[in-house]
Amino acid sequence: MTMNRRAFLKAGAGASGGLMLSLSLPGCAGIQPGYEPETGEWKPDAWLELTRDDEIYFTLARVEMGQGTYTGLTTLIAEELEVAPAAITPRFAPAAPEYRNPLYKLQLTGGSTSIATSWEPLRTAGASAREMLKMAAARIWKVEADACTVRDGHVVHANGIDSLRYGQLVELASKEVIRGEVSLKPRSEWKLIGKQGNRLDARAKSTGTAEYGIDVELPGQVYAVVTRSPRYGGRVGSFNGDEVRAMPGVVDVVEIERGIAVVADKYWRARKAQAALSVSWDFSDALSLSTNDVFEGYRKAADEDSGESERSEGDFDDATEAASTVLSAEYAQPYLAHATLEPMNATAWYQGDRAEVWAPTQAPDLGQIAVARVTDLSPGDVTIHTTFLGGGFGRRLTQDFIEEAAAVSFKIGKPVKVIWSREEDTRHDLFRPAMLHRMKASLADGELTGWHHQIVGPQILDWYVRNAAPAQYPWAPKVLYNSLGSAGLMFEGIATPKDMSAIEGAIEYPYGVSNIDIRHTHTDPGVPVTWWRSVGFSHNGFAVETFMDELAHEAGEDPYQFRRKLLANEPRHQEVLDRAARLAGWGEPLAEGRARGIALFRSFGTYVAQVVEAGIEHGEIRVHRVACAVDCGQVVSPRIVEDQIEGGILFGLTAALYGEITLEQGEVQQSNFHDYRLMRQYERPEVTVDIVDSEAAPTGVGEPGVPPVIPALGNALFALTGQRQRSLPLTADA
Amino acid sequence: MAVSLTVNGAERVLDVEGDTPLLWVVRDELGLKGTKFGCGAGLCGACTVHLNGQPVRSCSTPVELAAGAQVTTIEGLGDQDRLHALQEAWIEQGVPQCGYCQSGQIMSAAHLLSTNPSPSRDDIVAAMTGNICRCGTYSRIIAAVESVAADSRPDQREDA
Repeated sequence: MTMNRRAFLKAGAGASGGLMLSLSLPGCAGIQPGYEPETGEWKPDAWLELTRDDEIYFTLARVEMGQGTYTGLTTLIAEELEVAPAAITPRFAPAAPEYRNPLYKLQLTGGSTSIATSWEPLRTAGASAREMLKMAAARIWKVEADACTVRDGHVVHANGIDSLRYGQLVELASKEVIRGEVSLKPRSEWKLIGKQGNRLDARAKSTGTAEYGIDVELPGQVYAVVTRSPRYGGRVGSFNGDEVRAMPGVVDVVEIERGIAVVADKYWRARKAQAALSVSWDFSDALSLSTNDVFEGYRKAADEDSGESERSEGDFDDATEAASTVLSAEYAQPYLAHATLEPMNATAWYQGDRAEVWAPTQAPDLGQIAVARVTDLSPGDVTIHTTFLGGGFGRRLTQDFIEEAAAVSFKIGKPVKVIWSREEDTRHDLFRPAMLHRMKASLADGELTGWHHQIVGPQILDWYVRNAAPAQYPWAPKVLYNSLGSAGLMFEGIATPKDMSAIEGAIEYPYGVSNIDIRHTHTDPGVPVTWWRSVGFSHNGFAVETFMDELAHEAGEDPYQFRRKLLANEPRHQEVLDRAARLAGWGEPLAEGRARGIALFRSFGTYVAQVVEAGIEHGEIRVHRVACAVDCGQVVSPRIVEDQIEGGILFGLTAALYGEITLEQGEVQQSNFHDYRLMRQYERPEVTVDIVDSEAAPTGVGEPGVPPVIPALGNALFALTGQRQRSLPLTADA
Repeated sequence: MAVSLTVNGAERVLDVEGDTPLLWVVRDELGLKGTKFGCGAGLCGACTVHLNGQPVRSCSTPVELAAGAQVTTIEGLGDQDRLHALQEAWIEQGVPQCGYCQSGQIMSAAHLLSTNPSPSRDDIVAAMTGNICRCGTYSRIIAAVESVAADSRPDQREDA
């Protein structure tokens, strides 16, 4: 991302006499009610604040859910400011237009974008503060600013003897004006970026002191648990409120849009009272289908509608006519739950003319909308306090948990904490969509000549835009919220970006094939869906890289070499593929009963290749090793890159081995970790991550580890058994 | 009912219903929020505390069963001035990602080392298998436990 560095930076004195820097990210103009960039008035929510007591506060606008923004983004500031990262105190950003993600124009943390979008602005903020401090010191010493250097929180005189602490300079520095562009440190002078450092949140998270949403406690707070329709879309008919209200500790039993809330003085009393609650549901508009119906619907839709063309090159039909072999395959992939270890929760306090919310959310400004929707407040009346998140993976981009807490607090006028049980969290999730993929390819004399990919399933923005659209139109009255959602869809590509969620990863098919035909048959069975770590790449990765494997075997070629040959014009793809193969010892003999599979997928700008070594033991698939090569451009925190990639691999393997949400007559069949299984310590493969040393602009790593490992495992099982598995999760007895 | 128990060395008398899980007593009555709720069914280990020195799932342990017992939570494992060696190792190895499961992981590891100061890799894996980490920090957990284990000579370690 290139931008004029000065255009989005404002500096000045803070209320405490310190130095404050504020950033206004591009693309936000015109949607910032109340924001007056010309007044020079400094809000307490500036991005960077240096105090006279040498404290440095950094407002973290991308939430910390394990992916490492707390450390990574702070490192960018620290590098340019010449202080240790631990000398900076990150503060979680409230909801405010300044903190929006410039890619989405919403305050979202997602899409593996935090480092990529912060790389320039945050280093610039750090460098600007540094230059202003130097200018202030130079003024005192009556020397040129360029003659001064900075070191560990001090400006040092050219004589090497005199030095001033940042805290001594901040007041003067706040009056300095930077003319021209500030220069960022050259790569050769980096002390932190690309170097090994500790996670800044490790201590709090190892001592039990990190505050998550579920830990928030307010004076006079009560607890609410919500009974929701067992089938999506069901409405409350009647319920035995009086009986439940008489139970010990119960404060109230109230109906809200999403169900019946039992409110009590203690969480356990709310749960016990909930067990006595009996609700009769009106299922007339409720979901009634089963998983088989979903896939039958997809097949019917695919037969009737070849779908919208998303990429077309050459002539696929001609290629099949000229082909010696035409291969077809159909892949089916299930609904998947997020299963964050911290269940959904939020604490809300409606106070008449305003409301405050404490929540582990990936989208604080959408939290404001959620509160406004269920109270008599406007989004601007709502303060969102973001906590640490006990996992996110896309689940906390939807604000249903905030909506529930706010709706109950609005009804009873007390601070309310809503906590979902694990069973509720699983059953009332919004899922990674179930998808169907129809693949067809032509081979002529062993050469791949044509590629056809028909993606069948829903788009996520259809579900999301209802929540997101009002944030983009803050002037709109609330009665328009639902129609804004439709407007957002109507003007897709203008008001909202084109929805890539179904096709991403498929349309970027990287292999050198002359005739390409990629289509999306848009069909939505009505099951709630949302973003799930790596989103469309998660299912397109399996479809594309499994079919490539099938084609390699059909052509009688080694699956690694077959891919490699077709990537002659894709050096970054080829590099990670070669590295993963080398790391895994591709082609070398293996222990009896084991086999290798390979896959390659670029997602979120990051190139990842993986080789999985697996076997079948005691009737279970056993993954022994995963060798992974990754090119994510410039690395900021090497350990966090390794951790995110390894974590993504385990997340992908969990889906490949166990992940499946099924529906029976509209009801989700899974509930807790016994039937929605997550990978455990004893199942952990040995993972090796090789990171390409690159000076390219950094790209994300939170998600790209997930997509290739699923087909790589499937391909290894084919190599082992000769049986091709075309649906997930994979089984040992296929 | 009144329940008396000793938590992190201090005797506490609480007026709670006897079937209340120890987890919610520790978190909401005593304000010790380091112990986490993950599944409510003893499946994930996020709520692990020590009861008379044994690791238990506090989400599935009625407080009446803990009456008169010694309870240790993550807050009682070390103190902020002098952390438990495992906590130091967790920080040094950079184990936590989201961090939500880590109190439970550390409590399981602490029990392992208190009963088996020189565990093998297999011992560690077996002891830690009841604790789920959704972020996938398992390899760093092994490294952290091994860095603390006595006699943890590199030549005795074996990769999977």
